[in-house]
Amino acid sequence: MTQRLASGSHLLEVGELARVEGEGAMRVVVLDGQVTLVELRIAEPPRFFEGFLRGRSWTEPPDITARICGICPVAYQMSAALAIENACGVTVPDEIRRLRRLFYCGEWIESHALHIYLLHAPDFLGYEGAIEMAGDHREAVERGLRLKKAGNAVLAAVGGRAIHPVNTRVGGFYRVPTRAELEQLRPDLVRGRDEALETVALVAGFDFPDFEQPYEYLSLRGNEGYPLESGSIVTSGGSAFDVADFTEHVTEEHVARSNALHARLHGDQVFTVGPLARYTLCSDQLSPVAREAAAAAGLGPQCRNPFKSIVVRAVELVYAFDEALRLIDGWEGAPVPAVPVRPRFGEGHGATEAPRGLLYHRYRLDSDGTILDARIIPPTAQNQPGVEADLRSFVQDHLDLPHSELTRLCEQAIRNYDPCISCATHFLDLQVENS
Amino acid sequence: MPSHLLVGVGNRDRGDDGVGPAVVARAAGRLMGRVPPVHVVECADPADLVELWDGAELAVVVDAVRSADGGAPGSVTVLRTGPGEPPLPGRPWGVTGPGGSHALGLAEAVALARVLGRLPGHLVVVGVGASGFRPGAALSPAVAAAVESAAETACRLLGVEEAEGTGDTQVAGAGHEDDTPPPSRP
Repeated sequence: MTQRLASGSHLLEVGELARVEGEGAMRVVVLDGQVTLVELRIAEPPRFFEGFLRGRSWTEPPDITARICGICPVAYQMSAALAIENACGVTVPDEIRRLRRLFYCGEWIESHALHIYLLHAPDFLGYEGAIEMAGDHREAVERGLRLKKAGNAVLAAVGGRAIHPVNTRVGGFYRVPTRAELEQLRPDLVRGRDEALETVALVAGFDFPDFEQPYEYLSLRGNEGYPLESGSIVTSGGSAFDVADFTEHVTEEHVARSNALHARLHGDQVFTVGPLARYTLCSDQLSPVAREAAAAAGLGPQCRNPFKSIVVRAVELVYAFDEALRLIDGWEGAPVPAVPVRPRFGEGHGATEAPRGLLYHRYRLDSDGTILDARIIPPTAQNQPGVEADLRSFVQDHLDLPHSELTRLCEQAIRNYDPCISCATHFLDLQVENS
Repeated sequence: MPSHLLVGVGNRDRGDDGVGPAVVARAAGRLMGRVPPVHVVECADPADLVELWDGAELAVVVDAVRSADGGAPGSVTVLRTGPGEPPLPGRPWGVTGPGGSHALGLAEAVALARVLGRLPGHLVVVGVGASGFRPGAALSPAVAAAVESAAETACRLLGVEEAEGTGDTQVAGAGHEDDTPPPSRP
């Protein structure tokens, strides 16, 4: 909604920010032509699940935390399992790790397909939303739904079901799929890879505002391909550290207006996680077909324009299909679905690359496995300062735009992050004031 | 895909948002052995509905609805919104899903399917007025008390005659007069 309050001053307001996973409030204040305030307001206690986990058994975090978000349950299951296993001194065998990686490919596919086609593409094609877009771009929307369905099929095959998968446990899985079960996925995955390549071609043709982020990027970097289910942490500033040291480098501060904690790197630096960070730090680890797709889309080895995150997501979509096929073709089963994990007193850390960026879990266990303390830092919480910094810079540079256009672009800038407010918090409104 | 589908939309760990899954879990036992078979499923992401009901003759979808627009907490509302029938009102249905937090709400998923020509033959939504979506919370007392009534309504819509309503179901929406099963398609 745009309101002109008086000659020379105006208020731009979006009561509810559409097409993000959640609702919330963003306020931008401009005084005498200068952006003086940008704030993301958070209204709901974000730490409920951490409190909920205290006193529970060490076997429960994968199931409990998976329910934080209906879009990325695998990320929560994987980070939780890794952290508990780390606390108990267990490293799962490679077969189980690869099955987790395949599982994660399914989540990336369904999440990225949803965001690209139903949530973000309407911004670039000039539609209010996916429904309006579907009237003119039926085939594109149908393609998005097919891609999402292919991701759900992977989740169901490995996780038992697509929604809140039930097959994950600390130490591995309750049951591992047979080769025949996984091979049934191949035809849709092969088709999906082709359609993901078409997706890259589609989104590469969009118009992107000129914008370069100066912040540090942070992601995992592993030994087997592009980062997903394992790895240690690297940053674009040249830092490299173990997941166990995450909270030594990434600190969180309370912000008075918000119940959410705002993350900073090395004390005071804004940083972001997610597709741009992964791509900039790990594009050399993409498969050849994904690398070629990126090059054809005009991406170099790095990408620092957040509006192009839709292109990077499409490249990651290609990679997820390609990697899923590679993992299925190499799957020879596992001797056991899970390894025993015995509780012990101590602390464990786990991080994986959720579709939106690095998701960190830490647990402290008592000797009988009772959870003494839990810490969860979702990607959207890490990206909040980056979203604010983007808006501050973007609004300042585009104050000459008509209010409605500026508001629309601000919303688009927020959607660049595919923010999952339901993980970090709740209830977001966008409000831009010019005083 | 079986021709009859019962879907509970929502997240069990988000307060009254869990009413959809709770209702379909209650109804599931009564639907076993039903001919034609009824596929009962939970759904956390309304965007998946377009694929879930693909090819179904009848889909009954149970979801929480914002009380401000959808009646008192625990009230049960039935809306027919299949092909040729009115769309769901956006506001009370647009933000349901896990914790009222989903980008594509039920109303939008239905509207998307309508544009794509991918609605099931008959689509009936059973809405339960909700009061809170706090993470980790249980169903509020009023909503928990409505689970049985909503389950009976869903069963009746699916043609299970044994179920008897408790009488507090309100019927809303143009194109809908009662909660009897939709007619078979020609």
